Amino acid sequence: MLTSLYVEGDTFLHRQRPGAKLALILVVGLALYFTGRMAVQAVAMVIAGAIYFSLPMTVREAVYRLKPVLLAIAVLGLINIWLLSPQEAAVSTLRLLAVVFLAAAVTATTRIGDFMETITWILQPFERLGIIRAADVGLALGLVLRFLPDIFAHYEGLKEAHAARGIAFRPLRAIGPLMILALKDADAIADAIDARGIRGDVSPSNGERR
Amino acid sequence: MKTSNLVVVALFAAVIVVLGFLPPITLGISPVPITAQSMGVMLAGCIIGARRGAAAYLLILVMVVAGLPVLSGGRGGISVLMGPTGGYVVGWIIGAYVTGLIAQSTVREGQPELRQYIGFFLASIIGGIAVVYAIGIPWLSVAAGMPFSKAVIVNLPFIPGDLIKAVIATLAARAVLAGYPMLPSRA
Repeated sequence: MLTSLYVEGDTFLHRQRPGAKLALILVVGLALYFTGRMAVQAVAMVIAGAIYFSLPMTVREAVYRLKPVLLAIAVLGLINIWLLSPQEAAVSTLRLLAVVFLAAAVTATTRIGDFMETITWILQPFERLGIIRAADVGLALGLVLRFLPDIFAHYEGLKEAHAARGIAFRPLRAIGPLMILALKDADAIADAIDARGIRGDVSPSNGERR
Repeated sequence: MKTSNLVVVALFAAVIVVLGFLPPITLGISPVPITAQSMGVMLAGCIIGARRGAAAYLLILVMVVAGLPVLSGGRGGISVLMGPTGGYVVGWIIGAYVTGLIAQSTVREGQPELRQYIGFFLASIIGGIAVVYAIGIPWLSVAAGMPFSKAVIVNLPFIPGDLIKAVIATLAARAVLAGYPMLPSRA
């Protein structure tokens, strides 16, 4: 139902650590932002584009994934040509394309599990401060993926219930009932999680560490 | 966080993802089609409150970073955040929090219906529109190298649609408050 944007392969990027790849995006993004020179942006865009389009997926697939972002960049580029100058519009468009291609390449070469490990690692300081339990993020993500089919089923059920009663179905009007259907199971699911001790040393009554 | 709150956050995030799969709806007044997902910020704050609502959007952000196409139109991946519209995604988290704060302080069970509607509507407009734009527009301006005033103008066509969304979110939030109140048990 929800397919990850990861692309199976064994390229140089696939073999790098997810944390290093995320840091690369930040560094390149910031560096490009502080450079106004078009040549630098153009070279960066060509290199990032070459990396992204050389990944083991079809060009069609590669373009399709970025369609909404590329469309937004194109529209903003045209507006900038009209507002500022073709020169400035080219600099900002090339910079955005470079960063977006690089980011998309990192997304396509990193597994969800590896990302989650890195995100959990990034959250460690917050765990020490007692703001969040890093392991909860992974659990919550798993729950979302588990709940998705149920919520789709709830939505289809609402549709059928309308049809059975001969009432026109309006998706927007279904939001309230859909929320109630989705949330009313929360307590039972929480009890099931606590009964199995999935969250470890968390006491069910208040969620604080024992 | 209590386990039940963790589950509510995950359930709500799942609903937000499902809303992204629903086809956009065009209403006469607004030039931009209405996507059910973009109402999620208002719904999150008004229905499950500030902390859980913001947590649901943090979870969405984690999924986007992890490469799951959970945003409407099958968008996902770090490129969404690094692109010109990344500020809106970050703005959703704070927007949901502010929406929740206002909804929690203005809406109570047992109030006259009209007051509840007004509370939810104000919360949706301030948290779901003003706060989201307050983060999204400067980001757009910086990322696209566009003067701030022009970035504001680029966003104007979306405002009528946003107001319609606030109305729909208000109706839905009030329906949930009447049918299965979650807001009072704020995390």
